[in-house]
Amino acid sequence: MTDGENQKSNAVVTTGTGWERELYYDDDLSKHPVVRELSAVFPDDFLDAVRFRNETTIYVTPARFRDIAMYMRDHEKLQINFLSDLTAVDMLNLRTAPRFDVTAQLYSIPNRVRLRMKTSIDDGQSVPSLVPVFNGANWMERECYDMFGIFFEGHPNLRRILLQDDWDEGHPLRKDYPTRGWKDFPVYNKERTIRRTKTRWTGRGV
Amino acid sequence: MEPTKTEFNVMESTQTDYSGTLMVEDEHELASGERVMTLNMGPQHPSTHGVMRVLLKLDGETVIECDPMIGYLHRGTEKLSETKRYAQIVPWTDRLDYTAAPQNNLGYVLAVEKLLGLNVPERAQYWRVIMVELSRLASHLVWLGTHALDIGALSMSLYTFREREMIMDIFETFCGARLTTNMMEIGGFSRPLPDTLIEQIRNFLRVFPNRITEYTDLLTANPIWLARTKGVGVITPEAATSYSLTGACLRGSGINYDIRKADPYLVYDQLDFEVPLGQFGDVFDRYLVRVEEMRQAHKIITQALNYIEHDDRPMMAYESAYVMPPHMGTMTTAEDMQRHFVWVIKGFSAPIGEVYHAIEHGKGEFGIHIVSDGGSMPYRMRIRTPDYVNLGVLPHMAQGAMLADMVALIGTIDIVLGSVDR
Repeated sequence: MTDGENQKSNAVVTTGTGWERELYYDDDLSKHPVVRELSAVFPDDFLDAVRFRNETTIYVTPARFRDIAMYMRDHEKLQINFLSDLTAVDMLNLRTAPRFDVTAQLYSIPNRVRLRMKTSIDDGQSVPSLVPVFNGANWMERECYDMFGIFFEGHPNLRRILLQDDWDEGHPLRKDYPTRGWKDFPVYNKERTIRRTKTRWTGRGV
Repeated sequence: MEPTKTEFNVMESTQTDYSGTLMVEDEHELASGERVMTLNMGPQHPSTHGVMRVLLKLDGETVIECDPMIGYLHRGTEKLSETKRYAQIVPWTDRLDYTAAPQNNLGYVLAVEKLLGLNVPERAQYWRVIMVELSRLASHLVWLGTHALDIGALSMSLYTFREREMIMDIFETFCGARLTTNMMEIGGFSRPLPDTLIEQIRNFLRVFPNRITEYTDLLTANPIWLARTKGVGVITPEAATSYSLTGACLRGSGINYDIRKADPYLVYDQLDFEVPLGQFGDVFDRYLVRVEEMRQAHKIITQALNYIEHDDRPMMAYESAYVMPPHMGTMTTAEDMQRHFVWVIKGFSAPIGEVYHAIEHGKGEFGIHIVSDGGSMPYRMRIRTPDYVNLGVLPHMAQGAMLADMVALIGTIDIVLGSVDR
């Protein structure tokens, strides 16, 4: 194995190069390699970075959501090559606009670091699909469409996955969707045609 | 530009004909002059491990396309957990992957502890490792028995369920339940260990290595098993990474990613074990990886038990607003009873923020993403189950496979439909 291949397959461990693993967990977020690179390459589309419980969240614009994921995947040193999870959060009760946060949990297998990438969109606005970058995004985005009604632009097969295809009640994980659904559910024994029986615990019937 | 439904190939709500969802039409004529045949496998097919339906387009016996249809067991756990307090969600996680309930409990509990910033005593962490590795064994044993049963080795399940029974008995001694254990608590374990527990685990550890040899004697050199598994369902390392596979599906293709090593949680960095890797990424390699994982799990349990056996330090995080107050004082002092009552009725308020915590489940990466708005219930809880994501590779694997191999391909992913559908 030549030196170049070795460097590519392993995390960079030499000190002072600016790519050490410790920098990903440094308190000073501007030293974070992803933050440093993205603010240089995508100055308009890289919005913010937040640190909580040793996890880094970056906020990007929806227009370049896919481009930034592609850039970080193909970058020689960052190598964020694994999509752990893709989901959305309905921010209805927390802020006025925009409505949704689309959240991708990314991971770098060679560097062993996690990164959360978020983008905020309004209801009806679409996000570029991550399927061209990671094939695994296919089912995650289908579930996200199913549960939140978010459109992913460029997805090959965007239809419901967990709910049935003729589900006509909307998207259940939205905050304005009641837990029991919109439809009336049947009430058993409403007319009391069946006699009440006393139970041992309550003393009254069911 | 306003996106429309037709633009994204979204099915209309009134349209229930499934044939249009696949790219190959029924009327499509093949080069050989034959017609494409559509076959509906499931949802009652025994090898789909529950209720999953696979729609197959066949050219003779060769699968052209396949479309897994899931959701028959969807219970909306993510939606329900937005209406439950943090401590109330633990029993719901039992019902995800019901062959490995302690691992689901652990994944959830660790995520909440990360959100709260809670430190759990070392003794509780070791006991968590022991229980989780036992549960990993139980999960792998169910997989091995049913996977071999699908392929045709009927007697395997008789052997593997014998050892699983011993593990279930250990769980019953430890927490009173066998399948839906509800074992982990936020902050550690609040109850003392039963007297016979360690002896029971020792008995299991004594017999288990020989039992693994029994399994491998039955299968590893069996010509029928080799013919059905070698070179079937090959996943290249690039495809495995791109499809976000985790667990044995990823390591069977030779990619070294085990969260216990890469990002150690609990006390895994103090234990000595190895991560087995496959070479060719076929069904047989994934079988070998899982069998070796069982041996490593046995090694981990032995080490952890040797270390923690004669330890009698506390098992619960002490004096914290986030853990359940001890039961002892509630019967005698009013203050303790009030604290206990308020904790049970109101719960605790978690800090504002969001965390994602992933553990190495028996089937892959089990991750919980919690968004907290400072209340006593999660604002949003996302459950990333390993087999849901792993099942996404089935259409890729099934392309060009034989119809008879479909059961091997479904079995090798190791799915449990409770975990896929949530």
